[in-house]
Amino acid sequence: MESQKKNTALQAVKSFFGAIGSFFTEFGNAVANGDLFVKLSLLWMGAGYARRKQYVKAVIMTVLEAAVIIFTVKFAMQYVPKFGTLGTVQMEKVFNMKTMKSEFNDYDNSFTILLFSLFSFVVWFASAIVWMKNVVNVYKLQKLEEEGRHINTFLEDMHSYIEEKFHITLLTLPVMGVVIFTFIPILLLILVAFTNYDQNHMPPNSLFSWVGFDNFISLFGGGGLTVTFGYAFVRVLGWTLVWAFFATLTTYIGGILLSLLLNSRKTRMPKLWRTLFIVTIAVPQFVSLLLVRNFFSNGGIVNTICSNIGLTGFLRSIGLVTTSYIPFLSAPGWAHVMIILINIWIGVPYQMLIATGVLMNLPVDQLESARVDGATKFQIFRKITMPYLLFVTGPALVTDFVKNINNFNVIYLLTENVYTTTNQAMANSQAKEVDLLVTWLFRLTQDYYNYKMASAIGIVVFIICSVFTLVAFNRMIKGDREGTYQ
Amino acid sequence: MKKMKGNRTSAIVLHNLLIAVLALIWLIPIVWLVCTSFSAYSGMNTSTFFPEKWSISNYIKLFHPDTVAQFPQWFLNTFIIACFTCVISTMFVLMVAYATSVMRFKMRKPLMNLAVILNLFPGMLAMIAVYFTLKSFNLTNSYVGLIMVYSASSGLGYLIAKGFFDTVPRALCEAARIDGCSEARIFFQMVLPMSRPIVVYTVISSFLVPWMDFVYAKMILNAGISSKYTVAIGLFKMLDKSLINSYFTQFCAGGVLVSIPISILFMIMQKFYVEGITGGAVKG
Repeated sequence: MESQKKNTALQAVKSFFGAIGSFFTEFGNAVANGDLFVKLSLLWMGAGYARRKQYVKAVIMTVLEAAVIIFTVKFAMQYVPKFGTLGTVQMEKVFNMKTMKSEFNDYDNSFTILLFSLFSFVVWFASAIVWMKNVVNVYKLQKLEEEGRHINTFLEDMHSYIEEKFHITLLTLPVMGVVIFTFIPILLLILVAFTNYDQNHMPPNSLFSWVGFDNFISLFGGGGLTVTFGYAFVRVLGWTLVWAFFATLTTYIGGILLSLLLNSRKTRMPKLWRTLFIVTIAVPQFVSLLLVRNFFSNGGIVNTICSNIGLTGFLRSIGLVTTSYIPFLSAPGWAHVMIILINIWIGVPYQMLIATGVLMNLPVDQLESARVDGATKFQIFRKITMPYLLFVTGPALVTDFVKNINNFNVIYLLTENVYTTTNQAMANSQAKEVDLLVTWLFRLTQDYYNYKMASAIGIVVFIICSVFTLVAFNRMIKGDREGTYQ
Repeated sequence: MKKMKGNRTSAIVLHNLLIAVLALIWLIPIVWLVCTSFSAYSGMNTSTFFPEKWSISNYIKLFHPDTVAQFPQWFLNTFIIACFTCVISTMFVLMVAYATSVMRFKMRKPLMNLAVILNLFPGMLAMIAVYFTLKSFNLTNSYVGLIMVYSASSGLGYLIAKGFFDTVPRALCEAARIDGCSEARIFFQMVLPMSRPIVVYTVISSFLVPWMDFVYAKMILNAGISSKYTVAIGLFKMLDKSLINSYFTQFCAGGVLVSIPISILFMIMQKFYVEGITGGAVKG
């Protein structure tokens, strides 16, 4: 069994490289064995089609080839040569003798260089694949002709796009959307993590340049003035993991318990109760969380009630509180606990819904036979209900854990503007004790323009999430279809 | 006999009492929200739970915009963005879900794995770069920018719809193919009509995204003028330290007004979700 599990991950990697390898061998084969026109297609992409009388395709391919060449010469060449240095000409005002005015010189904008170079790389990469695929296709056409089989007309080719190749038609737009709005930006930010793009190096006024692994070194506690980033990083990371663990666990268990409570036969009007609980999650988080933030604020209603009933005074006398109010969301220890508790409020109804849905599909016959056999309710719960629940929602626990690592809303809405850190070392890197890695990242970009550290942190978050996901999914079986409960 | 019955009744009463207490605790903040929205004062009521004077002035003030509170405009902004997002997102999600579920092609598994990996990046990170790209095309602080941000990558959220399409009996598709149906026709004229619950679910959940989202709107509408805000950002800004004493109750009123349609849509969505997951595509 163990070797089987290791094999699935290894196999996935192997099959990935295998696919790449076979693509290249196909290409090599086509070039080696192709006739004159196939070899000509290496230079002029339309050649093979012209020979086989697929004129429309020939024209399309030629236009595409010309477009890529023009793109390279006119656009990419402006930026890619400067990629290595990310620009050398600082923006300056230069007195222009001809117009007798101070004008800006022909300066370099580091960010556009980075962005458009990356874009050019992606375009070139895609073009290379199209070029190789083109040769392979033309070779296939040649084989078809040799075997005397029918070669599609253009109309017939188009028809295949609603037939066997319908998936291409379906996937083109969504995939393009993802590439442009998720994939390329992520690559861009990975690159920024290796530069020194921050408030002191902001285009277009100044340039930034490559700094290698410096940001990561300072993040993990390396030298000099920025030693506080390492200090803050360890603490923020620790709290992030602790938070994610408790948040996931408490809402999961709470959801199950609430669901069992509501599903029990003793409950009257379960639909009504369920609706009431759902109302709390139907109210958008920015309303409910901001509300609760003010509910528990230093001068807020809960504090007033607490001081009226003497709770504040009591807590002061036993030394838990040093101010005249209970600092629910503004002091380190209190804020941490309150955040987890408030998250229970937000998260349990949602988990309750999921647990209810899962429990509805619990095989009733197993429950019946257990009851007939005389098992107590508790035994039924422990031996049938819980294992089934864990089995079905197990993978979801892992994804929930990862989601909670990135749970921006709860922390930000509850503590921004309310919680200020008194720890100078933390404040030097603009971190707070209640920050998650993602809220820290957000503040670094929005308020302090420290993009380089934000990117570095983002990459670390990604690595952490990937490790957890991969480890967890390797322990689970091939998740999709299981025979045990069918 | 009587004693057993008595025990049973008291157990039932206790059980339901427990649920009632829990429900009460859960609803306290919501009750406070509604009560405060009817308060006659403009700041937060800190000394009493219920406002001392009741009035509906906050709701009226909401519809008379000033420089800070422009609720009708925000509502309209968010509504327009939501409509477009809904259309584009639903199309993308259904297309990806159908392609990965029903069709078989070489890149299927690699594409799905890539989607999982992309989902692991903190979404915010990509947004920073997107913000700069949009800025260079002058699309920040605009409807178009936000719509693109919400809908372009929506294809990554295809899993639930895919789960539903997985339950479509392959035999039906085979029969249609034998009868000469093209793949496109199978998708549009056979599978989609059968998938009403999940289509409605996708439509509603993508419609709700711009209403409930806070982070991305805040990033893209960064330096914006307050008339371009979505409801989420506008209400958040009302609670700035400097403004909170004059606008808190209006915030509550705005919150209530926004929550009502969202809650209704949310509950409808839940109904269709359950119908889709438990019913599957096979009826009867």
